[in-house]
Parts: sequence; C-alpha cells; structure tokens
Amino acid sequence: MPTNRTFPLFKRMDWVLFAAMAALAVMSISFIYSASYRGPGQPMPQFYRQQLFWFAVGLAFYIAVAAVDYRLICQWATVWYVLAILSLVLVLVIGVKVYGARRWLGWGRMGIQPAEVAKLAVIIGLAYYLFHRTTEQRRRWNTVLGAVTLMGVPLVLILVEPDLGSALTLVPIVFGMLFVAGARGKHLALVALMGLCLTPVAWWHMKKYQRERLTVFLNPNRDPLGAGWNLNQSLIAVGSGGVTGKGYLQGTQNLLGYLPRTVTPNDFLFSVIAEEKGFAGGACVVGLYAVVVWRGLRIAADARDRLGALLATGIVGMLFFHVFVNIGMTIGLMPVTGVPLPLLSYGGSFVLVSMTALGLLQNIWIHRRNY
Amino acid sequence: MIVSASSSDTNPRLRIFGVIIATGLLLLLLALFRVQVLNAEAYGTREQAQSLRRIRMPSARGDIVDRHGVILANNRPSHDVVIYLDQLRGSKRQDIYQVVSSNLAVLAETMKMPVTLTEHEIRTHYQKRRPLPLTVWHDLPPQTQALFAERAAQLPAVDLVASPVRQYPNGSLAAHLLGFAGQAEQPADEDADEFYYYQADTAGKQGIEKTCDEALRGTPGGRTIRVNPTGRSVGEVGFKPAERGDRVTLTIDANIQRIVENALDHAPLSGGAELRAAAVVLDPRTGEVLAMASRPTFDPNLFTPGAPAEEVAWVLRNPASPLLNRAIGARYAPGSTFKPVTLLAALDSGIVKPTDTANCEGSLQIGNRSFRCWSKGGHGRVDAAGAIRLSCDVWFYEKGMTTKPENISKMAVAFGLGQASGFDVSGEVGGLVPTPAWKRMHYGERWWDGDTAQMSIGQSFLLATPLQMARATAALANGGTLWRPFVVRRIETADGTVVSETKPEQNRNISSPHFEFVRQAMLASVQEVGGTGHSAAVKGLSVAGKTGTAEADIRVDGATRRIKRTWFIGFAPYEAPQVAVAVVFEQGDSGGHTAAPVAGQIFAGIYGKSAERASGGATYAD
Repeated sequence: MPTNRTFPLFKRMDWVLFAAMAALAVMSISFIYSASYRGPGQPMPQFYRQQLFWFAVGLAFYIAVAAVDYRLICQWATVWYVLAILSLVLVLVIGVKVYGARRWLGWGRMGIQPAEVAKLAVIIGLAYYLFHRTTEQRRRWNTVLGAVTLMGVPLVLILVEPDLGSALTLVPIVFGMLFVAGARGKHLALVALMGLCLTPVAWWHMKKYQRERLTVFLNPNRDPLGAGWNLNQSLIAVGSGGVTGKGYLQGTQNLLGYLPRTVTPNDFLFSVIAEEKGFAGGACVVGLYAVVVWRGLRIAADARDRLGALLATGIVGMLFFHVFVNIGMTIGLMPVTGVPLPLLSYGGSFVLVSMTALGLLQNIWIHRRNY
Repeated sequence: MIVSASSSDTNPRLRIFGVIIATGLLLLLLALFRVQVLNAEAYGTREQAQSLRRIRMPSARGDIVDRHGVILANNRPSHDVVIYLDQLRGSKRQDIYQVVSSNLAVLAETMKMPVTLTEHEIRTHYQKRRPLPLTVWHDLPPQTQALFAERAAQLPAVDLVASPVRQYPNGSLAAHLLGFAGQAEQPADEDADEFYYYQADTAGKQGIEKTCDEALRGTPGGRTIRVNPTGRSVGEVGFKPAERGDRVTLTIDANIQRIVENALDHAPLSGGAELRAAAVVLDPRTGEVLAMASRPTFDPNLFTPGAPAEEVAWVLRNPASPLLNRAIGARYAPGSTFKPVTLLAALDSGIVKPTDTANCEGSLQIGNRSFRCWSKGGHGRVDAAGAIRLSCDVWFYEKGMTTKPENISKMAVAFGLGQASGFDVSGEVGGLVPTPAWKRMHYGERWWDGDTAQMSIGQSFLLATPLQMARATAALANGGTLWRPFVVRRIETADGTVVSETKPEQNRNISSPHFEFVRQAMLASVQEVGGTGHSAAVKGLSVAGKTGTAEADIRVDGATRRIKRTWFIGFAPYEAPQVAVAVVFEQGDSGGHTAAPVAGQIFAGIYGKSAERASGGATYAD
C-alpha cells in the first residue's frame, strides 16, 4: 500500500500504553497545579504551565523516537553514551550550583539534568553492548564486568555532583538488564556483594543531610521537626487522605505548607495526590504505572530481537524503580531521595527522558515484525 | 542497519523480572492500603493536631436582677488596645521580641502612654498563644479611645477591641449577697487540652456570683482555626458562638435593700465604735429574703481586670473583713432577742403560766453567784408580758430554770437555731444551741442552774447568725411556720426560658397555743412607751419586736475587752406580718439604743412612713 508511511505506524502503535501515558500527564498537570495552589485569589507559581511545555516538547521527542526504527537509534549507542558522559563532565565544570550540588546544565526553567539523560544513554548503551554478545558470552564474568564498567563511569560522575539518588538508580536498571540477558546469578551476587562492601566507604563520603535522611528512614521519629519533617509530613498527608481523600485543592498538608513547598511538585507530588484523592487516587496512580509496566514487559517479550527486548527491559526497569522509590519514599518504605516519579513529577529532564523512553517502547512494538 | 534475529522463545528470566516488578507494585499498593485505609484515622488525628487550634471563647455572664427586674449585676464593654503578634512580620532572622517591642515603642510614642508588658509576657504569649491578641492597655476611657482611633488605628497589628467586663451598677449595694466575679482558674482536666488556646471564663468568687456560677457563666463558644507550620493562623474552619449566661432573678427588693443599707450606715453609734453590722429582711409568708446587708462593705466593681492592686489588697487584708457577709457568715449570742423563744418554751411546758410573776430587785442569787438584771434598780414585780416588754432578766432567770434547759433547747431548735438555715447562697455558718449533754461533752462539766439562767436570756453558749434570727423572727411573726430562707427566685436563659424557679419551702411548723401571747408581748415592747423596743416604733404601723444586748469578750491587741452585741428583731404589720427584720451591731450601746432605731428606719422606709422617735421619754437599754 503505497500510502503515507506514518499512517501504518499509528495503526500499529500500542494505544493502551499511550493512553496510560496521557492519563499520567493529565494527572501531572492537575496536581502540579494543586501543589502550587495557595488558596483562592492567592498568587501561585506557574509550574503547571512549565510542565505543560515540557509535555509538548516530550511529545515531539516521543513521536520522533517512535518513528525511527530503534535499531537505527541503537547503532548510534556509542555516540549517545559518549555525549552523556561529556555532558556529565560538563555539568561538573559549568553546571549551575543549586543547594550545594551541580546538577543543572543551562539556565532557570530551561535547565537540563544530564544525570537523567545518562540513565537512558546507559540503557541504550548496555542493550547495544549485550546484544553484541553471544548467549555464551553473556554468561561470562567479563560481560558482567563490562556492563558494570559501562554503568560505573556515569555513576561516579553523578556521585561527584553529588546526586546519590540518581546515581543509585543506575544499579537496579543494569542488574535487571544483565539478569534478563542471562548473566549468571552468582556473578550478579558477587557484584552485589562488592557493592555492599563499598557501603561504609559511601557512608564516609556522604554529606550530613544524606546521612540524616538515612537515619530518619530507619527511625522516622528521631527528629520529626528537623530531618524527619518531610517524611513525617508526607506520611501524615498520605494517611490523612484516607480512602477517598480531602478533595482536589483541599489538601491541607499541601495548602498550609506542611509538605515542604520547594520540593512538593517534584519529590512529593504523590503525597498531594494521595492526600487529595485518598487511597482511590493513590491506587489509581499505581494502577496506571502497572499498565505501563505490563505493556512494557509485553513489548520486551514480543520484541523482534534481543536488542529490543533488552532495551524494553531496561526502560521498564528504570520506570518501575523510580515509581517504587518515589512512592515508597512518601510512605516511609524507602529513604527520602530526590528520585522523581516518571511523568508525574515536575521537572523537564525526566519528563523528556520518560517520554523518550516510552517512545522507544512504542518503537520496539511498532517494529516487532517485518512489514 | 542491525540485522535482527527473531526472538521467538519467551525468556524465562523476563518472566521472573516481570514477577519481581509485579510484586514490587503490589507491595506499594499494600503499603498504601495500610497507611491510607488502616491507619487513616491516626494520621488524620495527627494532621488535625498539628494544624488545628481551638480557641475557647468565654461567654458573657448573665445578669442578676432584683424581684422587680432592677439590674444588680450586668456587663459593660471594656475597650482594650491589643496587638496581634502573628501579624507582625519581621525578617526571619529578627528576634520576635525585638520586632514586638519596636512596634510597641511606636504605639507608646503615638499614644503618649507607657507600655508595661514585660519581655517574658511577650515571649510566652508568642510561643503559647500566638493567634490570640495580646492586650496592651485595658479599659481605655472614651477620650483615649478617640485618641487611638485618630492616631494609632493605622499602626500595624494593633486594634481596639471590646470585651465584656462584669459591672455592678449600684456600686456596693447588696455587695455581700451578689459577691463578685474574677478570672477562673484554668481547669486541669481535658478541657484545657481540647482548647489549645484557653481563654479563661469569669468565675464567681463569692455570693450569688459563686453560688449561681454555673448558670451565670453560660456556655463558652469556640473558634477552630488552621495554622501553618509557623503557627500563623490561615483561616477559620469552625465557629460556635458563646451562649450568654442565664439571668438570675433574686427575691431582693433593691429599694428595701437600699433602705436597709442606708439605715445601717446611719446607725446611732456612740463615738469610736466601728460600724460592723448586719441586717436581714425576710418575708415571713414565704421565707424570701427581701434585703440582706453587711457592714463594712466593699465595691465589687473593684475586682475587675486592671483594678488598682493596692485597693484590692486592702479589701483582702483589712482587719474588719469587709468581704465577710456577717448576715450569714458571723455568729453572735442573740441576747434578749432569744427571750420570746424562752417564753414560748416556758408556757408550752405547762409549768409556767402567763400570769406568773417574779419580783425583780436588779439581781437574782443562784447558788453562790449573783445574776444581774440589766436594770440595776430592778423592775419590781413583773409578769410574763412585762418581762418581754421591759426585757426583765430576773423573770427569765427564774422561769427559765423552772422550764428546764432541755425544753428551752428543744424550742430553740424548733425555731431553726443551732443549725444552718439551708439558705441558697454559700458561706452560711451554723449556730449553737447548748444542752447539758453538749456541755458535758465539750467542757467535761455538768450543767449548772446558772447555765440555764444565762441561756434563758440568750447568753451562755447560744450563737446565731443574723439570718437565723430573722428566720426565727419570721416564725414568731407568722405563728409558727419555719421557712427555708432563699434569695434566688428564678433562673432563666437569655431568651426568657425559665430554667428553675424556687418554691417557698416550709421546714417545720411549730404548733403552740401561746404564740399570740408572745406576739402581743413583742408588740407592746415596741408600741408602748417604756417598752425597750420603742425606738423601733413607726407612726401608723404596728411593729412588734424585741431588743437584745449580749455581752461578749473580744481580744484586741492582746487585751480582753468586753463589748456589747446589740440586736433588734421584729416584724410588721402586727396584724398580718409582711416583713421580719433582724439587725445586729457587733458593738453598740444597747439593742434599744443602737439596733431598734435602725430597725425603725427600715420599717418606716419600707412602709413609706416616718419613724416615730420616742420623744421625751427615756430610751431604754437592753
């Protein structure tokens, strides 16, 4: 059928996955609005408009990435990877310092966090790397070592920023991909053991606030007015939401500023949703992510090749891990870190990364067969 | 282009990976369920505890009015200048005390008035009661209010607010009966917890204010406000207006009360004697208290916030105890005013006849002691009626001993003596009616004939409050009905719904065929020239009564001094008594000289007549 080439692409898209993404985007705008709301007639920050802009840009990325065959994109894996590393180095040199960390390239609202982009670069790079190994090779120790090295370079660079949370998200992504790729369990266990041995060193190098966050995670009531404030207030927000919530724009924890105003639209957006929409809203969010993850896994299973399968695995792993850490953090299941909620949290970099990643998933789905 | 190898097999590792992720999401869901469903209530409570503050708002006290609706106690607005600490925005680093004191300095400069708030007060208020206004000046006079409106009203965070303050528009009128109200202490119970910001009620401290405090106080209201993490109020979420306290209607007649107090204040005291006195007027048909006064007195308006401390302290420390309601809180030997009771006991015993006489030669020898009559020269031969009229002690010594102490005690108890009357205002003390058994128990000594003689004339151990004597007088007046005296006639809510209404309560009925004889003797005592109570006589009104003078030893500066308690009890009009009166002075010349004229003024005032001064003839002692 010699018609418009993009038409069959749309026809072959996973519309359920797209719908889940769209729903999350709508929730994102609505609740970023709510998180910035200060009461009737009060001036409020316009984060939601900014987020809308990022979604628009993200959609462009999404379509672009979905349209070009992922095998073509992955051929450039080395380039993406090197660019990511370069931007990570660049951010250490000319990055904007915010709260004592250099994480931002660019100015003000248009800033980009290279650490977020690096996550995707690592996924593509690792998928490409593992795809070029035979099944036998992938069971070998040096493959694991290679993968760890691939992850290690950006990880260290991100740690230097410092951004412990983002750095650590690389670990489960890589582990997940290695596992699905067929690496030996004992090799993975060995790497994990080595990682554990590094924990005291990590602790030694941690900043005071990072240590406090961990101690508070282990004992939430230790310092409720200081380091434990955010966790406690988030728990109160989520818990007091009850089954049905207090209603849109009615979340007192958020409205009165008990939830820290500076980080609520990013890190604690879930707390706002849970306070205002209750367990119903919270479960709905988890459900939407479950849909994304389910479709992602199906795409991984149905991919035409291992490259697509590994790529999808990495993306699913990344999305899941962010969801688990962020939501877990708001209810005390995980320590407080700045890990954002995919698509929901305010912030351009991760919106773009998430949408690009979802675009890739669509891509793998669209190209699962030869047409 | 990468050459794809079709992956047809389903990777088992991918399945495991999927299962792990599914488990993770399920775990999140379960954790959410635990926090939002199972523990929702606990977190809801925590949320409210940290962001909701309840402010208790005290209600305005109810009015106290006399039997005709004349206001005896109500509220007036006090105009206070307050400062709202939570509206003062300094920079974050600035100390709150600095911010407040610089603002107060401007205010003080503008108003040309010194600010007396201490640093401690300001800090404590800021920490504990931030959303509440802090009072800078209490109760500004109108011209200062005008000055504030003109010059200072635009200053940040300051305001002029009105709050109710208790006032007694008639000053000290019925002060002892009304009592006064002060700031209630914060209860230690959970109430203090529930209202995070507690604003104290005004609590009655004495008299009606204390006795009827619960009704007068009303129901406190409350405001529930939300505060942000810095403790600043961000809005009101609940409001319950305070309900005004109930209106208490007394049996008092403000007019009679004024007459009584005026009469006490103009008592014919001989030089140097301090005015310490009490008077009670009862309605002998019901037991209603028409007036009750005590001297020295005080102004209950003194006990309002911001009153001069020295004046308050003086009222509290004054050795004359101006706060003491002597009408119910002090006991005195009734002296000869007890004689009608003795007489009734004597006649009822059947051993003494009205016609029995005694020859009074100024004293009577009992055992080895001589008991004097107040009249040194003696009354000569007197009968029962004469003994009352002239208040002859010798007749009562003799006939009292004949009657036996038990009979006299029994009659005294029947008249409500020796016990609290059950008056509905707190602060009443009991009385004392001795018996031989009582004396043996308390003194380990037998009862002598001399004790009987003394008791017959209202001395020895007998003690009674003015109210108890008035009650007994009412029973003499109405022919034997002993009423429970009361002063709270009705309690009704602010909108007029009656909460409670007091019905007259008959405690006892003394039946005796000799009442009329005793009453006639009392009538003669006042109406006839030569009766000891004649200075209580009022032209055009038939007054019956009895005087009394009881000697008492008091200690002044370590030395014992003998003083005279001087009494008058009486009722009018004789034919159908409407008022029964008891008047006592702690120190006086005699009942006839000191108390009877005061009673005369009272009767005259009540019936709108002028007292008939016993002109020409001698005024009599006892």
